[in-house]
Amino acid sequence: MLHRKSLAAVAAATALVLAAAGCGGGGKTTTGGSSGGTSGGGTLTLGLIVPATTFSAQDMNFANESPYGQAVYDTLLKADPQGKLGPSLAKEWTYDAAKTTLKMTLRDDVTFTDGQKFNADAAAKNLIRFRDGHSPNKSFLGALKDAKAVDDTHLELTLKESDPGLLIHLSQNAGMMESPGAFNSPDIKTKPVGSGPYVLETAGTVVGTTYTFSKNPKYWDPSSVHYDKLVLKVLQDPTAMLNAIKGKQLNGAKLSTNDTLDQVKGAGYALHAFELDWTGLLLLDRGGKLNPALKDVRVRQAINYAFDAQGLLKAVGKGHGTPTAQIFPTSSAAYDQALDGHYGYDATKAKQLLSDAGFPNGFELAMPRAAAVGTTLWTLIAQQLKDVGITVKYTDAGNNFISDVLAPKYPATWLQLQQDPDWPLINFELTPDAVFNPFHTNDPKVTELVKKVHDAKTDDEAAPALKELNTYVVEQAWFAPWYRIESNYATDAKTDVQPQVGNAYPYLWNFVPKG
Amino acid sequence: MLIFILRRVLSGLVLLFVISSVAFLLLYLGGGDIARRILGQQATQEDVAAKAAELGLNRPLLTQYLDWLTHALTGDLGASWFTGEQVSAGIASRFAVTLSLVLGATVITALVAVVLGVWAAVRRGWVDRLVQVISVLGFAIPGFLIAVGLVLLFAIKLGLFDPTGYVNFTESPAGWLRTVTLPVIALSIGGIAGVAGQVRGAVVDALRQDYVRTLRSRGLPFNRVVFRHVLRNAGGPALAVLAVQFVGLFGGAVIVEQVFAIPGLGQVAITSTSQGDIPLVMGLVVATAIMVVVVNLIIDLAQGWLNPKVRLS
Repeated sequence: MLHRKSLAAVAAATALVLAAAGCGGGGKTTTGGSSGGTSGGGTLTLGLIVPATTFSAQDMNFANESPYGQAVYDTLLKADPQGKLGPSLAKEWTYDAAKTTLKMTLRDDVTFTDGQKFNADAAAKNLIRFRDGHSPNKSFLGALKDAKAVDDTHLELTLKESDPGLLIHLSQNAGMMESPGAFNSPDIKTKPVGSGPYVLETAGTVVGTTYTFSKNPKYWDPSSVHYDKLVLKVLQDPTAMLNAIKGKQLNGAKLSTNDTLDQVKGAGYALHAFELDWTGLLLLDRGGKLNPALKDVRVRQAINYAFDAQGLLKAVGKGHGTPTAQIFPTSSAAYDQALDGHYGYDATKAKQLLSDAGFPNGFELAMPRAAAVGTTLWTLIAQQLKDVGITVKYTDAGNNFISDVLAPKYPATWLQLQQDPDWPLINFELTPDAVFNPFHTNDPKVTELVKKVHDAKTDDEAAPALKELNTYVVEQAWFAPWYRIESNYATDAKTDVQPQVGNAYPYLWNFVPKG
Repeated sequence: MLIFILRRVLSGLVLLFVISSVAFLLLYLGGGDIARRILGQQATQEDVAAKAAELGLNRPLLTQYLDWLTHALTGDLGASWFTGEQVSAGIASRFAVTLSLVLGATVITALVAVVLGVWAAVRRGWVDRLVQVISVLGFAIPGFLIAVGLVLLFAIKLGLFDPTGYVNFTESPAGWLRTVTLPVIALSIGGIAGVAGQVRGAVVDALRQDYVRTLRSRGLPFNRVVFRHVLRNAGGPALAVLAVQFVGLFGGAVIVEQVFAIPGLGQVAITSTSQGDIPLVMGLVVATAIMVVVVNLIIDLAQGWLNPKVRLS
């Protein structure tokens, strides 16, 4: 039967095509054809959960986007994995007594990839551009009054008021230096010109998906560059990230979920756990503007007692984290281990406090909800508060969740917030003008303690005030934290890295080939 | 013929205008606070307001749409609000990637579906039942599950293919095959199920026609009758289904590209839509609408070539 032969021929042709594909298979080539090898001088391939919003230094993001900037730009200062600051483009730095003038001595051997020399004038221009730019972190340089080049290697920064967080910020996106020759380039968002360890290869880059970098041959600090090539792969889908790990396509990967840790370990990857965020309720309306009940500290404390943090950690966080009642990280001088258990789960006590505050029958609490987070979380919050008599009235805020919280349209909300270093954290959540103090709560005691931290000449001098501030905020129940969330970074058998204190992604130069 | 093509192009332009208007309106209504999403939760309300003003989001909807439309008419689709990449360049680079998947899937779908459909129609009996079961299974199993299963077995367990990523054909043909084979198979299975059933039905109908009996009575070999006459008559309906599948495969690519982390249109469609990246989403809408119009036109012309009756009507 001829038709049988015809069918067989078509089937054979199809099999041939598939076999040809299979014959070429087996390699671990990643996008762009780069090798996943990890030995010194090879290629470092990292998985990221977000693409680069921009490569324009003026508008740079940080946190999960930090590897993009660190690949192509140098910063004025550099932090080690524990957050201790050291030199980078700035060799030395000194403050005046009032800490409102910062003098920096800069390196004289640094050249941008467009051939332009790095000098104090370029540094000053970069700092002012960042202050006036559109980075979400532009407030990092909010205290900067002016930046001037004294000469080629001496930079002077004058501040409106002292800023204890300034030096840290100069080691992050606020301190990234771009060539002044590229300031007005129409392509600067996708074609960076810096002096960093790598140069972006636009040919091997698909914006939003894969970013390929080659080593900067004229880099001034070659000892900190451990690979010839760097590939940053954006894998926003957790399944794709897991598949890339199982297929040994990545040397390092940020995991957006803890659900796959066993599978990642099973694939031969080492896990580096760190706690970066805390999660729980923000009791924002401490003045009782939208909900008079929240003005009473006993009500806010009752909400803290109402939550079974241990149970929530198990149900929501799958056990990956540490119960806490404080918002400061363990790396902070403000941290007090005893405060982690300051409010245990005690529904009876919560009811008593509500009764003492004049709410024996509870009250109604308006909160926003977002479908993107799922339903379990919202149900558990409502259930736990209902158990002590508080009825949650949710409004679906959808894509406007953060905007509505900060408007402010709600007296309280659930959120997950980063545990920044002390001064940025204070200015993010505690001061009257802090982003996450939308009702501008102005407690004299908090203001006094913040001033003490601000005016301290040394970290040791600031420590007691920080501790007192943390304790006071916990006792006043400004928040109702449940637990610190464990995040995980995975590295393959050939790669080692140390997580960075206070940052979502390890710093690029800390990735090293094992052995 | 020329008038027919001109008519189709004109109706395509009207369609393009309507689709872009509706898409813009939907994006505007469901967009939420895009400036906040761009800047993140650390930005102050003032910075967010400044960003919204910079993007022109504080202008009336009609002004924003007309602004986009006038630029689009000159070929300027703007830049992504989230990555700064020029929309036209971004779509062009990703279109080739998705097209290679969709074309590959279409070819495999056509080949396998014709083989299965003809086989079932000619042999009937258990073969027919088997093909029908395969068709139902192909429809029933979600493409996402098929994709994940293929990755687990062929990429992770057997190591034959890359689990994620994409290599350009020009860079490495072998690498390209390694990265597109599994996604193409994942995309093809649903299509094969649909088209095979259609081919089977059309061939069964055609085999009952008088002209088949006449040709057979004149002593023409059965194979020649099937492949030269029956298939040509059955090709019309199959081609129509294949055309729908081709356009539908672009939708299927959204999920498959996500699973395989392939930098195509589907992946960027998910990201840009969830972010509210209006310039990029609008660029994708325009590109997709143009593609649908062009594909339909080609299919109409092919139908006319296959069947003179269609040409006359």
